[in-house]
Parts: sequence; structure tokens; C-alpha cells
Amino acid sequence: MKSWGIILFLPLMLWAQPEFFGYFESEADLMQLGTVNYNFGYNKFRLDVEARPNDNVLIGANVNIQKYWGKTSWNIYDFLPGYANSGLVQNIELQDTIMVDNVYMRLTFPWLDMTLGRQQISPGVGYAWNPTDIFNSRSLLDPSYEQTGIAAIRSVVPLGNRSSFEMVMIPADNFENATKQFWLNGGFGRFDFSLTTAQQQWQSLHAFTYGYGEEDERWLHGGSLVGEILGWGVWTEFGVNNIVYSSFYELYSSSSIIAYEPPIDSFNEYVFGLDHTFDNSVYVLGEYLHNEYGKAKADELIIYDYLYSLSGKSHSLMQDYGFLYLMHPTFDLVSLSALAIANFNDNSGTFAPQLDWNIFDDTNISLQGSLFWGEEDTEFGLQDWGLRLRLRSDF
Amino acid sequence: MRLRLIMITFLGLSTLFAQTPTAAEIIDRVTSIMSPENTYSKGSQTIITSSGKERVFEFESWSSGKGESSLTRYTKPAAIRGQAFLMLNNADDIWSYFPRTKRVRKLASHAKKQKMQGSDFTYEDMGGGDVFQTKFKATILAEETRDGELTWKIELMGIPEEEPPYPKIVLWARQSDYYPIALDYYDENGFNSKSLVMSNIQMVEDYPSAMMMVMTDNKERSSTTMRTLEITYNWEPPKGFFSERNLKK
Repeated sequence: MKSWGIILFLPLMLWAQPEFFGYFESEADLMQLGTVNYNFGYNKFRLDVEARPNDNVLIGANVNIQKYWGKTSWNIYDFLPGYANSGLVQNIELQDTIMVDNVYMRLTFPWLDMTLGRQQISPGVGYAWNPTDIFNSRSLLDPSYEQTGIAAIRSVVPLGNRSSFEMVMIPADNFENATKQFWLNGGFGRFDFSLTTAQQQWQSLHAFTYGYGEEDERWLHGGSLVGEILGWGVWTEFGVNNIVYSSFYELYSSSSIIAYEPPIDSFNEYVFGLDHTFDNSVYVLGEYLHNEYGKAKADELIIYDYLYSLSGKSHSLMQDYGFLYLMHPTFDLVSLSALAIANFNDNSGTFAPQLDWNIFDDTNISLQGSLFWGEEDTEFGLQDWGLRLRLRSDF
Repeated sequence: MRLRLIMITFLGLSTLFAQTPTAAEIIDRVTSIMSPENTYSKGSQTIITSSGKERVFEFESWSSGKGESSLTRYTKPAAIRGQAFLMLNNADDIWSYFPRTKRVRKLASHAKKQKMQGSDFTYEDMGGGDVFQTKFKATILAEETRDGELTWKIELMGIPEEEPPYPKIVLWARQSDYYPIALDYYDENGFNSKSLVMSNIQMVEDYPSAMMMVMTDNKERSSTTMRTLEITYNWEPPKGFFSERNLKK
């Protein structure tokens, strides 16, 4: 975040009698990979501030201070099933950070809401996957964790109590290169729907390995529908994607320096989900993802598939996944839950039971275990088990 | 003399009849007095769990259309600050907003029976409107004195095809102003699963208003006390107030 933003926002916020809030979060993880185990974690402090100089203006910002401990240098090849123990090294260093995550101003008019600045944008109705979300990637073991801010201009034009037109633009060096997404949101009866179209400059193949700035152009057309059938919550979200590759790719691939497989120039991605709370308070949520940007067979995977998946460019490594979440408020202020993720293409997956305890007002402890299944060279089978302890206190 | 006697007898009988409205009439009056056109309030919600642990929440709430539309936004504790719920069509349609993910989620009807923030109130309990009139058949069981007040004890039997929130409710309405001071909720096994007691009833802008409501879960032995900290009925919702757009603010 550039300093001009802070210089602009700070005096405004102080003048508007800001509210301060945030949280402290500490996490400790243990992970077993074959014969090796790793210890790592972080301590994170988030301070939010919000000010309302008048009824039409909201100014918000937050600072995250995050310090890592334990293992902080990771060779990404250790986590790529086909490349583990290959001797290849591509280290990622986790750096301690102090960053202004979000800093934005929202202007409210009767006919328009406009938010300018770094802000959290989380489109879509899916829980674990969002085919229409071109901005974020998320951890499947914690899908509801907050997303980092995105520097954007966002406008919402209300068209009625249940309908609106929405636009997000991430500015670039010129309008053509800017990421743009539009939504038309509405509702009928027990259902809400949205239609969306987006244009995005997508990081090219080369950028991952060679750092070239060339980008491909992605077009997304999609939508979502959420409602209920026979008392069950149901939703679907889908995206039809077209990619226009950069001329650099044609030049590069024809030079035959590295043999690439022909890239796909269109793919579909969709999610179906449902949820229900039973009379005994058991909550169940399930989702199925089909993503044609992933591979259908394990032997078709190449290094880029892993890189796309790890970086969040693709919502999944392979094509077909299932997600199941069960939760029950079992004891006083204690809930037990479990989630399972299955990769139907390589028959691997994970099962993660979790305990959440609201130990004091505004203080929660959660303990999550993860057990992985599948062959050694599969997406989840690479790991054996993991344990995560998280303490969080809000203020 | 004879004519005077007849008149006195007639007046006495008519007064007697006027004082004994039908169950449906009582429920109409209860609904009317419980459903001001518009309401804005601030309140607190203290949950005492079955093991005696206490959690306190504070919220702001707006409603209009005699409770048909409502919006509730939590202000405390910090962990859920900004979480909000929009209920339309007497809580038939519910949307929730989670500030941590900045997402609005439409909840299916099963969610209506979920506890609001772990309290003993469900979303459905918080919905206003004409539920007693449209989803139940009322019968007067007795006239009783409860907490020093002369009341009508009314049985509300759920009409199955209307999908009532509870199979049966027993309600005590004050004869002085038709304000309900207690409700017992029964489950499908005929067990009195929850009880609601309203107290510290004050006149606010011509409407009797309970400043304290205690809901007790008779199965889990937990209770939730709702205190009204501030309330007014002289509030007009701006256009588009009960919308997803406003839910996110």
C-alpha cells in the first residue's frame, strides 16, 4: 500500500471518531510427510479501524502483523506428488509481514454504493469453491477464512430490494488490461440468482517459471442460483471460460525449447451444493466441483497444473471433487465438526475432525486433525497426517 | 321498574359478552398489540448455558410492516460484531451477512429453527407478523391470574398445512390490554420444550412493551434473557432499507 493512501486516510479517520477492533490469532501446526515431520505456525495481530464522518461515508482500514515460526522455508517440489524427492528445489520463504491489508472508502448514495481502495471481495455462493471468483484462492481446510484485500473500484447500483447491478474493476496500466467483472443480481420466490461476466488478464505459463510479464486474456461468463428444495438449502455456481493466449506463447511454444501440451482455450467449471440442519442440530453441507481446467487423469498432470493449483490460478488440481462438512453444537460452547475432501480422479482425500471451544467471551480455541488417504503420488496421499491448534481472541 | 330491570339485565349481559371475546378475537388483538407498524430497538441478549456459563450479546434491530420485514445487526461481542440477519415475509426468507467473509448467504427454511447466536431464540421466534393468526387455531382454555395479572390462557394448535413453527403454543394474554406475558412452546411429543416470560412491561408511544423477555429451554436447561435498552415505534424505514445492500453496511 502506497504511503499516499495512509496520508489521505489517517486525518479523515481521526476526525471521524474511529472505532478500533481486531483480533490476535496464534496457530501451531504439525505435519507428517512420509518419514519427515514439520513444525510451523504463526502469530498474527490484526487491527481494524472504521470511521463514519457522516451517514454517506465509511472509511475502513486494517493492518496485519504476522510473524512465522518453525519451518519457514518450503521447497514447493516436496508437495508435488510427481516431483517429490526429485532433487528439484524451488524454495518459498515465509516472511514476517506488517501490511496494510484493506484500506478503502465507501460512498453511499440512494442510487449507488461505491467503494474505492483495497477491499475484500468474495463473490459467489459456493462454500468450498467459487467458479465465478476470479480474485481469491482459499484453503479447503478453512474455506471461511478471511480473504486479503484487492485494490479495486467497486460499484453497486440497487435496482430493487432484491436486485442490483454490480461492477468491480481492478485498475491496470490501461483500461484494456484492467480486470473487470459485472454482476446482475436478483431474486424470485425462495431463490436468489446472479449472472456475471468478467475479463481478466491471466498470468501466462511463462510467468510462473521465467517471470515474464506476458499475460493471457480470460473471459468468464457465469452465474449462480441459491434457494431451497424440500427444506434443503441448494445452490449452484458455474463459469464458462474462454482464454485468448498471448502472442508470446505461440512464439515460445513453436521454438520447441520446452514441449508444452496444447493449451485449452475454453473450460467450464461448476459447483453444486446443499445443506440442512436436522432436528437434532446436526448441520450438514456438501458440495461437488467439476473444473475442466484441472486434469481428469493423474498421468496427464504436468508441473503447471500443480503451480496453477498452488497459486490459486486454478480452483483445483484435477477435475472432480467432493466436499462434506458436518457440525454439531455438542456441549456448552463447544462444537464438534468434521470435513472431508475427496479427489474423485485420483481417489485421494482428507478427513479433518475439528473441535471448537468458545473458552471465554471473544476467545476461541480450535483443534483440527487431518488424515490423508490415497497413493503416495496422488494429490492428498502425499501427506500422512496433520494437526492444527489455533487460538483466537477478538477485541 | 320492570323496564329498568330489563335494561340493567341487558346491559349486564352485553358487558359480560363484551368482556369475553372469542379466542380468535383475542389473538387478533394480541397480534395487533405485538406488531407495531415500525420498530427500532437496541437490546442485549444474555445466554446462560446449561452449565451456568454466561455470554452477552448486544444488537440493533429494525422492523416494519408489523414485523413482516426485519433486520438485526450484532454490535457485541467483538467476535461477531457486524453479523446481520435480514428476514422478509415473516422470516420465510432469511439472509445472513458475515463480515469476516463479507458474504451474504441465503438461508433455507430449515435454518429458521436454528438458534440465533446459540441463544434459546430461533430465527423463527424473532419473526413477527401474523403467525398466530394464520398458522394456528386458537381456543380459550381458562381465565387465570398469573403474576398478579388477570389473563386469558389460550391454546394455539398448529395448522399442519400452514407449517406452523411449533405444533402447539399456550399463551397467557393480559385481560387489561391483551398483551401476552407468557408463552409455552410444545414439541411434537407434547413436551413443553421452551417457555417465554415477558416482564417489566412499559407503555412506549402507546404500545405496551416488554423490557425483559426470558426464554428458557426446558430440555437443555439453558436460558436467554433479552433486555430492551432503547426502543421507538416512531421510525420510518428509508426506501430499500430491508435489502441485501443494507445488510452489508
